[in-house]
Amino acid sequence: MEFSTPQELKPISINRVNEYDVKINWKNGMEVIYPARRLRMECPCAVCVDELTGVRRLQENMVAEDVHPAGIDPVGHYAIQIHFSDGHNTGIYTWEKLVDLGKKLTGNT
Amino acid sequence: MNDSQINQEQILDALRVVIDPDLHRDIVALGFVKELKVRNNRVSFHLELTTPACPVKDELREQAEDAVRKLPGIEAVEVTLSAQVRSHGPTGQNIIPGIKNVIPVGSGKGGVGKSTVSANLAVALAETGASVGLMDADVYGPSIPTILGINDQPRSGGKGMLPVEAHGVKVISAGFFVKPDQAVVWRGPMLAKMIEQFLGQVEWGELDYLVVDLPPGTGDVQLTLCQRIPLTGALIVTTPQPVAVNIAEKAIIMFNQLKCPLLGVVENMSYWESRTTGEREFIFGSGGADRIAEKWEVPVLGKIPLATTVRESSDSGTPIVLDEAGSPAAVAFVDTAKSLAAQISIRNIRAESEGLVSINF
Ligand SMILES: Nc1ncnc2c1ncn2[C@@H]1O[C@H](COP(=O)(O)OP(=O)(O)O)[C@@H](O)[C@H]1O
Ligand SMILES: [Mg+2]
Ligand SMILES: [Zn+2]
Repeated sequence: MEFSTPQELKPISINRVNEYDVKINWKNGMEVIYPARRLRMECPCAVCVDELTGVRRLQENMVAEDVHPAGIDPVGHYAIQIHFSDGHNTGIYTWEKLVDLGKKLTGNT
Repeated sequence: MNDSQINQEQILDALRVVIDPDLHRDIVALGFVKELKVRNNRVSFHLELTTPACPVKDELREQAEDAVRKLPGIEAVEVTLSAQVRSHGPTGQNIIPGIKNVIPVGSGKGGVGKSTVSANLAVALAETGASVGLMDADVYGPSIPTILGINDQPRSGGKGMLPVEAHGVKVISAGFFVKPDQAVVWRGPMLAKMIEQFLGQVEWGELDYLVVDLPPGTGDVQLTLCQRIPLTGALIVTTPQPVAVNIAEKAIIMFNQLKCPLLGVVENMSYWESRTTGEREFIFGSGGADRIAEKWEVPVLGKIPLATTVRESSDSGTPIVLDEAGSPAAVAFVDTAKSLAAQISIRNIRAESEGLVSINF
């Protein structure tokens, strides 16, 4: 996946692919499907990640199998806030973070 | 029945042929046309541009007038111009809410004319009618007070410090607070604190542009600035020597790492122009800025000639754009300021439209 210039680090649209998963179409033409539970596990907020060490506090067994985004809001021009079905909504997912995750998901770095 | 009566829709349609050459969109789509009034085939409207420093404002006005005049039955067209500088990103998230655009001016090393360029561009922008601030953040060699002839100290206002006004620009300088020989002992956290105070505790008021004269090279001031506030984009000042490219690139790489976009490059001391023959001599070689522009895909916003009068004006406290308005160097600064303003408009308009991510979830 080519995410070369900063201008391309922007989504055109963020949609539902099914009941749970999120599809993002990026400006450079790429389309990435983000599995619902994976998004929850990747939450970058201070509750889920130790701010000092960067170590992830959130463990697999702390999250319900069927957790999924219930709503998504834009944050400025640079990120989204995801409201999860378990009530968690403190994570701000920047375009950059979502691009990085997209690379992991599609096996491209 | 008055069948030749022209309506608003027809006028707007006619105006769609007028394309802003920088923004590549028509003036109707860009929302420039305001207060359109049609009465008895007499038309008047307002063109609200994205900057008073718009390099093509007269062309746009003429084209708009012509486009409407061509419609059948039109008796008179009156176009007025104004400008509303677009803001970089949502202003609510800015720790200095009244400031629409922050433009750091950087260079790889000292002595390339960064302060000279910052001061002249700020004054040139202010001359067009924009509200402009200049933050002199070069603790190692604050020279803005000298260039702008400032002898006053900032006074305290209701909530913080009031910037000093000089030549139509609101100025805060590290030089107001430190003696040059003190600067050596400044450590990272102190620098960061000063920048925070310059941002948060100065009553800048409403500004279209805040130009920031950075210390040369890369360091804590740059880091703090980039981390604390959303910057519209940086301007890089370089000299024309081919070796200058490598030095300027250090600054460019830093801005890239800090996720601060680049607005463009200004080549200073670019050439020497003979007063008698008008011939240009490239004393320091040439092509430095062009090479950077090509490699980093950023525009060259201007080339400023080497001229004794540039230094003399700065030394006397009145920058050359005012001191010798109309001289080749002054004209080069004014043109550069307009290109800069245009580049900022392009960025902000693009961000506005691209920022509209459609979310259906
Ligand atoms: N275009 C120019 N022509 C002649 N002298 C210039 C020009 N630009 C800058 N100077 C002079 O060069 C010196 C260094 O400029 P300055 O703006 O202080 O550089 P910097 O801020 O990058 O250290 C000053 O004496 C200034 O007056
Ligand atoms: Mg300087
Ligand atoms: Zn979280």
